[in-house]
Amino acid sequence: MDFTYTPAETEFRLALRRWLVDALPNGWAETVFEPEDEYERAMFRLAWERKLHSGGWSGLNWPKEYGGRGATLVERAIFAEEMARARAPEIINVPGQTLAGPTILLYGTESQKQRFLPKIISSEEVWCQGFSEPNAGSDLASVRTKAERVGDKYIVNGQKIWTSFAQYSQWCFALVRTDPDLPKHKGLSFLLIDMASPGISIRPLRQISGESEFNETFFDNVEVPVENVVGEVNDGWRIAMMTLAYERGPEDALGRQIRFKQELDQLLTTLSTQNRGNSKAIEDPNVRQKLAHSITEVEVMRLNSLRTFSKYLHGEERGPDASLIKLYWSHAAQNMYENALDALGPLAPLAGTDPLAPAAGRFPLSYLQSKAFTIYSGSSEIMRNIIGERVLGLPK
Amino acid sequence: MNFGFDEQQKSFGDTVANVLADFPALTSADLSAPPHDAVWQALAEIGLFALMVPSQFGGVDMSLVDLALAIEALGAGLAPPAVAATLAATDLLVHHGTEEQKRDYLTQIATGGIRVAVAVLEADQGYDPYDVQTALDGDRLNGTKILVGDAAEATLLLVVARAFDRPCVVLVNADAPGIAIRIHDDLDPTSGYCAVTFDDVAVPAGSVLNESYPEHAVERLVDVSTTISAGLLMGGAARMLDTAVNYVKVRVQFGQAIGAFQAIKHRCADMAVAIEAGRSVAYYAFWAAAENAPDRARAASMAKAYCGGVSRHVCNETIQLHGGMGFTWDLGLHRFLRRAKVIEHSYGDAAFHNERVLNATLAEVSAAVDERRKSA
Repeated sequence: MDFTYTPAETEFRLALRRWLVDALPNGWAETVFEPEDEYERAMFRLAWERKLHSGGWSGLNWPKEYGGRGATLVERAIFAEEMARARAPEIINVPGQTLAGPTILLYGTESQKQRFLPKIISSEEVWCQGFSEPNAGSDLASVRTKAERVGDKYIVNGQKIWTSFAQYSQWCFALVRTDPDLPKHKGLSFLLIDMASPGISIRPLRQISGESEFNETFFDNVEVPVENVVGEVNDGWRIAMMTLAYERGPEDALGRQIRFKQELDQLLTTLSTQNRGNSKAIEDPNVRQKLAHSITEVEVMRLNSLRTFSKYLHGEERGPDASLIKLYWSHAAQNMYENALDALGPLAPLAGTDPLAPAAGRFPLSYLQSKAFTIYSGSSEIMRNIIGERVLGLPK
Repeated sequence: MNFGFDEQQKSFGDTVANVLADFPALTSADLSAPPHDAVWQALAEIGLFALMVPSQFGGVDMSLVDLALAIEALGAGLAPPAVAATLAATDLLVHHGTEEQKRDYLTQIATGGIRVAVAVLEADQGYDPYDVQTALDGDRLNGTKILVGDAAEATLLLVVARAFDRPCVVLVNADAPGIAIRIHDDLDPTSGYCAVTFDDVAVPAGSVLNESYPEHAVERLVDVSTTISAGLLMGGAARMLDTAVNYVKVRVQFGQAIGAFQAIKHRCADMAVAIEAGRSVAYYAFWAAAENAPDRARAASMAKAYCGGVSRHVCNETIQLHGGMGFTWDLGLHRFLRRAKVIEHSYGDAAFHNERVLNATLAEVSAAVDERRKSA
């Protein structure tokens, strides 16, 4: 065990730190913040991730031959720490960079890798995830969206749901049924679909936060070239499970931890200046206990990820252990936003543009957004089944 | 950077677990004193006490990180508290002892010749070692400590006392005249908790650790003991989860193993998540203590506060999942519950450590804000 860094790792950190000073807008996170408007915010983030790429800070631990930086997982962890420290913006191409990319790297053909990976890294192409359907949520293997082979094409018909960022996406990776006669886990394939194809329509869904990050996506006789199948036909379930291991795994958790740590730091700063009668909000002993607990939980998210990185570096396979990570961060983060609103006291409900809203009113919105954490990427109930059965060996 | 243990570190853990398994009385339902001399001897024979001792004093120069899994095994096996206390004392002597103190004590510790008890708490104080009233005045020590684990069988006491308005750690031979020991009636009789009274005990020169900065020795003692406590708690909790999982796999009700019911399965899953989280924070604290990292105190406090909660959750759930059997004396789950609860209250409870976590974090956040404003 060793948490010290090599000179090369330290130089990586310092180079990133120097780059961030120039790359972030003047007064960032002090007087300058992300746009309020949802669309503008998405575009702001997209511009930011393209800037990250132009600086060489994207696709960090991907091979250089596909446009990556060839960095180590340690450098990836350093990257997360520095992004948190600078309060850097989030990115929107998470489905591309965290899910589609690693899946194509593992199971894609050489020409798929060359075609897709560089543009995922550059966020020139944004991706969305076509897994869930109205009748295939936790029971994902019952997806019904059909892909029928006709000549050298698949004809796709069906509906996906909860497709986050579909409105900004150029590509979708989808789990589709290529053989309706096989048992439900066996007849599925992993298909890459061009979102500009005729026959695709998107209907935004409004979330409890009022935002419309996710959508319903309809496929009506959409033609997809057969070379867009990843891996073997009818082997999509196995591949999708690996995609989910990435979705629930340490890279994803570390990326999220950045935001939670930023918001927690912001909360501490806010409470240190917020008046509560003759003292400051931060002096309330009940508030202090809750904050300390959340500080620890957010740190545990990071440590859990680093421990799991180390296991992977030493040759352990990705698998159901990712569910431990996801179940942990999702509940810890929800708890943090509950604690944040408790801590903010009478001003807690003030949101958005209200001039009295603490921290530009971000906490009520983040609080609402946090309700999704324990549902998406596999609900907590499914995580607990996986951990119970596949980690602890309990009977089905 | 690497957040894993090497083969040697894992084997220390396995070896300690195997040795303790040879003494089933340690974890049996009965609360009568287990055979400490034989356990002590067996742990000394595998070289546990020599691991952290520098080679010039007969040891092998290891650090707290190397012992993290061994300490977890001590927790899982309900080892006598003097074992962990002796390891903490070893670390403290290595970092804050004079050459004479090292020579006098470490050579004997390495062979298992010294058993340590750590005396911090007092009846009228909270957990903050800066508040202790036991006083070292000249060469005389006066005061009463409570909840000193295994004090009755210790040969050396590490006493946190006040001298010239600063806290310090005093090394006191347990047989010094003026020391009176009373065994407590308490929740975990197997921890050997005693009240220890020092009535004008003569303390020879050279008995205080780090005379120039005695409070540094106190702080290290607290941080290291806090970290070790977190490791012990995780060992006990992980063993409780194993016990629960093994039970729900075989206990049949309504025609099936109860582990198939989601009401049971999901609670086991939550325990597994809690244990992995607790290990993450505890292992980091071991590293921070071993390396004297700038965040050593915060890491220790995070670990103790958090692992205390994990241990509480897992002990309670394990008893619940065993149903009526869980509440029986004979099954012995109460042994782990009792031990966990007394460790939760040693070296500071969650509220005490949460305060330390918050203060350290506020200092860090305000420094980061200053730096950002400066560079903007």
